[in-house]
Amino acid sequence: MRRIAIETRNIPKGLAFISPWLAGFAVFLLLPIIMSLYYSLCDYNLLQRPVFVGLENYRFLIHDAVFWLALKNTLYYGALSVPAGLGVSLALAILLNRRVIGQPFFRTIIFLPSLVPTIAAAILWKWLFNQKLGLINWALSPLYSLLHVQGPAWIDQPGWVIPSLALMSVWGVGNTVVIYLAGLQDVPRELYEAAELDGASGLKQLYHVTLPMISPVIFFNLVMAVITVVQVFDIPFMMTQGGPNRASYFYTYYLYDNAFSYLHMGYASALAWIQLLMVLALTGIAFWSSKKWVYYQGK
Amino acid sequence: MLAGVVWLLAWQPSPPVPEQRRNDVVVQYWEKWTGVEQDAIQQIVDDFNDTVGKEKHIYVDMLSMSNIDQKTLVATAAGEPPDVAGLWDTKIPQFGELGALTPLDDMAAAHGITAGYYKPVYWRGCHYNGHLYSLVSTPATIALFYNTKIFHENAAELRAAGLDPDRAPRTLHELDRYASVLNTFKIGPDGRKHLDRAGYIPMLPGWYITDMPIWFGADEWDEKTKRFTLTDPGVIAAFNWIQSYSIKLGADAVTEMQTSQGGFNSVENEFIAGTVAMEMQGPWMANYIHHWKPEMDHDWAAAPFPSAVGQKLVTYAPFDALAIPVGAKHKKEAFEFIAYINRQDVMEKLCMLHCKNSPLAKVSNYFLTHHPNPYIRVFEELAWSPNAHITMQCPIASEAGQELLALAQGVVALQLDPETALREAQVRLQARYDDFEAKQKIRQRDR
Repeated sequence: MRRIAIETRNIPKGLAFISPWLAGFAVFLLLPIIMSLYYSLCDYNLLQRPVFVGLENYRFLIHDAVFWLALKNTLYYGALSVPAGLGVSLALAILLNRRVIGQPFFRTIIFLPSLVPTIAAAILWKWLFNQKLGLINWALSPLYSLLHVQGPAWIDQPGWVIPSLALMSVWGVGNTVVIYLAGLQDVPRELYEAAELDGASGLKQLYHVTLPMISPVIFFNLVMAVITVVQVFDIPFMMTQGGPNRASYFYTYYLYDNAFSYLHMGYASALAWIQLLMVLALTGIAFWSSKKWVYYQGK
Repeated sequence: MLAGVVWLLAWQPSPPVPEQRRNDVVVQYWEKWTGVEQDAIQQIVDDFNDTVGKEKHIYVDMLSMSNIDQKTLVATAAGEPPDVAGLWDTKIPQFGELGALTPLDDMAAAHGITAGYYKPVYWRGCHYNGHLYSLVSTPATIALFYNTKIFHENAAELRAAGLDPDRAPRTLHELDRYASVLNTFKIGPDGRKHLDRAGYIPMLPGWYITDMPIWFGADEWDEKTKRFTLTDPGVIAAFNWIQSYSIKLGADAVTEMQTSQGGFNSVENEFIAGTVAMEMQGPWMANYIHHWKPEMDHDWAAAPFPSAVGQKLVTYAPFDALAIPVGAKHKKEAFEFIAYINRQDVMEKLCMLHCKNSPLAKVSNYFLTHHPNPYIRVFEELAWSPNAHITMQCPIASEAGQELLALAQGVVALQLDPETALREAQVRLQARYDDFEAKQKIRQRDR
């Protein structure tokens, strides 16, 4: 009883301590969220007063061919980059978890690309992808000669641009690798010993011990990757400007153009709300499916 | 803590104004240019600060930035715009329509800057809906640059095709024939023929690809009826012509040629490197040729880009606009600076530094004889032409431009049939404009 009284007395103090955060949250997050919901029901161009149009922006969205194209591009990119990123980072983490000479060096090398600023990475990869002068086509030229084919134009060919950007996204998996590594180091050693005693091969140990034990980490990385993919913007903005022929025009890029180039702030707000619903739906699916494949110790 | 937060919110970094000018009115000037162009404008700003500015107690503080249009707009909406914004001309109709810019008619007239002071094409471009919303900082006209060395090296082949190697093509059909003779191919490691040098490729550099219809006697927007005219036969013919190069040379060959070049401002620039014999460019190209390959200074020439329909001196005339956003704190002083740039001597200095023609009606002999571009008279003549076109005077020009650029890319990649794509774009863009206009009418009615 006395404890409750003390806690009640401390509420104002507690609120005072978190008030800067509360104020920041209210002004910079909650208010814009509410305003964007209102603007999504308006025609609004930043400079003139909003005109209330009800659900018109949402109705327009259904018939907007560019919206569907941007959505399709984003999902296609996600379908390539999420599994590739998760798979490659897991494989790298497993390799880096082995006790080998120079382990810290290799860990640093794998993590380094994550430290490269996006703009620098974009310029670097633009050159790597250059059809005639790029190192990728140069390295693959013996293969092209063997197959009698021409090296692709990578980011400049409509059919190649999204796979190229997905390939590039794998380069920056250092953060995900670190999270996997932390998960791998938490797997109890005795489980591997027991599996070895039962005659399980390395592959079977991976499938029956490692993957189930780190499944919560895989799940976390999956959810983060899905959220990141739906919001992808900076790399295509800098490298392809959404081209060629809108082949790399992603959802957030279309939202940005509507908001700041075309000044359809109301329509952009509607796009943002649909994006939020999309993230919620995809995350919901991931959570629903997690019951079947994510194993939590102690449950 | 609260006091600390208030102090942080109230604190503003002091502008880099010299101690002795602290009492002057500080004009905040946002400019899009970087590099040598920024240095040139900074020279003009410094000149102003040391002369007229000193006399009238005005100090101009220039800030160079990317995405200036968006930043200016957001700052204007927030009530904290710069005093002078160096915008792209393409944004004037959009900003003007939304009331983001201060009309300059009265201030310009008071400084003697009237229609007769400017070349008509730029004066037209500075206006929207009957109001003067900007003046020019530097303008351009677009012409054909051609590599005379390549022309002479291939003189026999050109003559054999009935073409004169000592001059530029005079019709678009002739340009196609020159290009055809000057194309060279080599066998690649894949055993196929690859374009080694292109006579001409519409997408190199492709900056004005969506303006191509003007060389076919057509416009994409009718200002009087407020309708897009993308299904005009001239517009369709222009996009068919763009596609004809991909059909003739192969879409892959065109893509390879246009994407495997280095940056514009580099020795790898396709025209400077000699991998393209003819290119559509502005007068500034002379500066870049001289900077990256001075030995090429006498190996090129410029001529009006030829028309497909027999018109003379057809050109697109873009410019960098100086505008005063609504809500600017020092409008009068801001205009003093804009008027200073528009003085003939100052404008000529800036245009020579930027290697561009002048927007002004009067041009000195010194400007014509000492300009870094030896063909400056070609660009000046184009600027005077009745066939000089300004940017689309449409408030949704940004959206239309993006749509048409994507369309052009699809046409070049042979993914789209030009006529079908233009018909679809016409419907989409017209619906967007009609919706925009309807909402503007509601705003006006409720005002």
